Amino acid sequence: MYEKEKDLVHSFLNGRLSRRGLIKRLAGLGVSATAAGSLVNMMATNAMAADFDWKKHSGTGVKLLLNKHPYTDAMIANLDNFKQLTGMDVQYDVFPEDVYFDKVTAALSSGSTEYDAFMTGAYMTWTYGPAGWITDLNEWIGDPEKTAASYNWDDMLPGVRKSCAWNGQPGGELGSADAKQWCIPWGYEQNNLAYNRNMFQKAGLSVPTNLDELVDTAAQAKASIDGVYGIGVRGSRSWASIHPGFLSAYANYGQKDLNVGADGKLSAAMNTDVSKDMHSKWVKMIQDSGAPDWSTHTWYQVGTDLGAGASAMIYDADILGYFMNGGDNKEAGNLAYAPFAANPAADAPSPNIWIWSLAMSEFSKKKDAAWYFMQWASGPEHGLFGATQMDFVNPVRQSVWADEDFRERLDKSYPGYVDMHDVSAPGAKIQFTAQPLFFDLTTEWAATLQKMVANEVPVDEGLDKLAESVNRQLKEADLG
Amino acid sequence: MLETSPLETFLRGVAILLVILFFMFPIFWIVLMSFQTNETILRIPPSFIFEPTFDNYRALITGKLETNAASLDIAFMRNMGNSVLLSVGAVLLALILGVPAAYSFARHKTRFSEDIAFTLLSFRFAPPLLVLLPLTIYFQKLGLSDTYFGLIWVYQLICLPLILWIVRGYFEDISEDVEYAYRIGGHSWFETFRKIAVPLAGPGIAAAGLLAFIFAWNNFIFALVLASADKQPVTVGALAFVTASGIQYGQIAAAIVLSITPTLLLAVYAQKYLVEGLSLGAVKG
Amino acid sequence: MTVENDLPGVRRRRIKVGRRVLPYILSLPALLVCIGILVPFVTAAIYSLQRYRLSQPWARKFNWGENYLNFLSDPDFWNTLKVSLVYAGTTVTLELMLGLGIALLLQRRTRFNNFVSIMLLMPLMTAPVLAALMWKLMTNSGFGILSYLVSSVGIQDFRWASSPDTALLTVVLVDIWVYTPFIMILLLAGLRSLPSQPFEAAALDGVPRTFVFWKITLPMLMPYILTATLFRLLDSIQQFDIIYAMTQGGPGDTLTVFQVEAYLNFFQSTNIGRSAALMMILWAITFVLSNIFIKNWLKLRERAN
Repeated sequence: MYEKEKDLVHSFLNGRLSRRGLIKRLAGLGVSATAAGSLVNMMATNAMAADFDWKKHSGTGVKLLLNKHPYTDAMIANLDNFKQLTGMDVQYDVFPEDVYFDKVTAALSSGSTEYDAFMTGAYMTWTYGPAGWITDLNEWIGDPEKTAASYNWDDMLPGVRKSCAWNGQPGGELGSADAKQWCIPWGYEQNNLAYNRNMFQKAGLSVPTNLDELVDTAAQAKASIDGVYGIGVRGSRSWASIHPGFLSAYANYGQKDLNVGADGKLSAAMNTDVSKDMHSKWVKMIQDSGAPDWSTHTWYQVGTDLGAGASAMIYDADILGYFMNGGDNKEAGNLAYAPFAANPAADAPSPNIWIWSLAMSEFSKKKDAAWYFMQWASGPEHGLFGATQMDFVNPVRQSVWADEDFRERLDKSYPGYVDMHDVSAPGAKIQFTAQPLFFDLTTEWAATLQKMVANEVPVDEGLDKLAESVNRQLKEADLG
Repeated sequence: MLETSPLETFLRGVAILLVILFFMFPIFWIVLMSFQTNETILRIPPSFIFEPTFDNYRALITGKLETNAASLDIAFMRNMGNSVLLSVGAVLLALILGVPAAYSFARHKTRFSEDIAFTLLSFRFAPPLLVLLPLTIYFQKLGLSDTYFGLIWVYQLICLPLILWIVRGYFEDISEDVEYAYRIGGHSWFETFRKIAVPLAGPGIAAAGLLAFIFAWNNFIFALVLASADKQPVTVGALAFVTASGIQYGQIAAAIVLSITPTLLLAVYAQKYLVEGLSLGAVKG
Repeated sequence: MTVENDLPGVRRRRIKVGRRVLPYILSLPALLVCIGILVPFVTAAIYSLQRYRLSQPWARKFNWGENYLNFLSDPDFWNTLKVSLVYAGTTVTLELMLGLGIALLLQRRTRFNNFVSIMLLMPLMTAPVLAALMWKLMTNSGFGILSYLVSSVGIQDFRWASSPDTALLTVVLVDIWVYTPFIMILLLAGLRSLPSQPFEAAALDGVPRTFVFWKITLPMLMPYILTATLFRLLDSIQQFDIIYAMTQGGPGDTLTVFQVEAYLNFFQSTNIGRSAALMMILWAITFVLSNIFIKNWLKLRERAN
């Protein structure tokens, strides 16, 4: 590397030069933005090595179990830097998303020592934690011997960080003082609106700001744009249909899935009047202007339809809208984003979130080494690299969100995205009650919604039945 | 063969046409998709007109997918190799074990042979999911997890009963007289089995072998659970195109076409045995 | 293998011993290979007698028949049983009729017929989970070619797998598409290996064709039909890939067949006890069904000899 460039990068790393200033000046030296990014990343890696013994596990190999995902791609693209930094070897098994959690469950339930760390969602740790398959990471995070000072754990968005911590008590508050840190947030999704700007303009629609407006706008979009339906939300018979837009709207009305009694017993809370009212609107929205094949819609169909111009908007994961604005999607470049608070009386959105996180296998024989990988992969340097060079969004670190470059890049190609994030991040957290029957209850909830939309059962009767069944199952599992 | 009237010929023609239309149209459509990008596949309404691209095949075969973000590695051809290894291995083993057993059930009936045959069949009843967790645990203890050998063993659950019961039927259809005559001529049991019985049951063995091969080829739950990423079959490889940033339909379609090809070639090769059947009516009982 | 190495050496002197031991020597290796599977099977049977949730390891204990007893009062279970039987019954019946029909159409040994019969195997060669993915796209309300064709012949708003009214029909259709070739090829091989004399004799006597079919073809083909039906039935009642990939058991509880329920119980709820009990019942059903089939098969065999 040339001295001049080195000096520039050093000034940047010491905080004497802004990132943008650096890239501008490197460009003056004939270095492209991407190359400059890699350069900074490499130098940052070298800088990291200064104040912490990264070579402690040199020669050790760890093996990861990963989901085929842009986050994984970003990590693999940067992995050589980690190997160089630590002298460690990293192997990984990447499995398709469709079967990923089956693989995780199979590997962990049999006590396999093959994988040291793996990707997971926070909901899954409500099973994995009590099952004794994953390790409480507080022990590592709090130990300066094992964690570099630059890791800066408090940099993580508080709502996201807390959502990955649970004390293991059914109904226990996420992020409580006695909570165990079951996993480290890696990248996360808020649920808000992503809409087709062109369609909205042509049809003269404005962005809805509450559920009633959403129902109306969706209906108008369907009526005024030929061959397009109004609103994309997931509907398949799965927990995954409950947790995005639906639960975000639900929680915005101050509704809960379960009540936690004074004795710690859980009981169903979804058949209140407010809930029934909200459900009715939701069901009507889907019947009137949802996808004709809503009940088979998963993440993929919701995204595909938006990207291919079959739907006018979606109320789903923000990064789903983000992905659909690029690649070879027909509507790439036409999408825009807005925060969404379903309840007109609410001050701000309160999106439920999905967090792709990293967890450590309790069966790992190289936990300290695995932690080195985890702290690097969830550290600020890789976070910034992934967010600016790859599709490692949404970042879970405030420092990345504060990065001007990142904000500018995002704002330029994804109109409204940064603003949306800023508005809804304070209220963003997991809105479910942490308990081990999460998947049973949400799957049944989704099935109930399907019956309501198909007019097989009226909304209030369906919710009463659901609550009854939920209470029965909670009792059966000694939780209620 | 019996005489057919012109009307019947016509009706038969129509029927065959309908059959071909129903079974081949989706295949035809998949082949079309394999030459398209997602952009032309996802059109409303769908259309037959598009500019063909070989990108999907190129990405699968070279193992490099160029996206706007980065160049990604695709392990599809490795998955193909795994599928070939696992399916061929499993079917060969099942044939070696199953054909003699089928012969013995057909020819040498003993007090227990029906029970043994039924027991072998009953392994097919057990839903894979049922044995999956214990199997994973035991395989780890035995050091069989993540080995091709272990997988081929488990694949016997799929292949062996199928081969055994189909081939058995064919053996029973062959007249014993021919074999007797040959043995009286001074030939050993084994020679009789190899030179007379097996060739006569050839079509059945070919059909059973091919079907076992197809079922082994299409299975993925065992490999998924019992092996690591480098031993995954083609089905898991194709599912990798269902990603968070969208389903790559073109690549999945191309993956289907590529994954059908070896089996199809095998079927065409074995066609003589498979569908021409025995023209040895005279020797049948 | 032992069988092949030992036998040429057996020869005449030892042939008497061989006669009695031979059947066991021949079938034993196959049996031994499968016995290995028996151990996990028994383990799973034990799981089904336990209260065993992976998320509550401390509460794991034997509850004996409780998992099974709970089914009696569980409407979801009865729905599962009903749906599974309806699904298996419908698919197997239709596939058998269609498979037999196609086999009869292609019976004559012509180059064209041979070509068609091989081509028709292609749906079977497509992994069901991928086939379902493609069918899901082809029946998509916007991009789906089949939806488009259906609407262009005037059937509006046909919702395929996403409406409770047509979901079963749609998955059955996909199942037929994938698995009819399985029955077709077995029956075709069977048809073509039937002896020709009875048919020639019947033709000479001018026996009506329908009579020939019902009284000669069908009875002679019956062992093949039973084998094909048995295997198809065993697979169909355990159907998972197609249903799960297309509807995940929905809409509502329309298609929550055994394997879908057991899968969700196992992998998502990690309620191993209930999942194992469900599958033991499924196993028992297939056991009884195949017993009936085998009995009939053996009877037919005896009559034929």
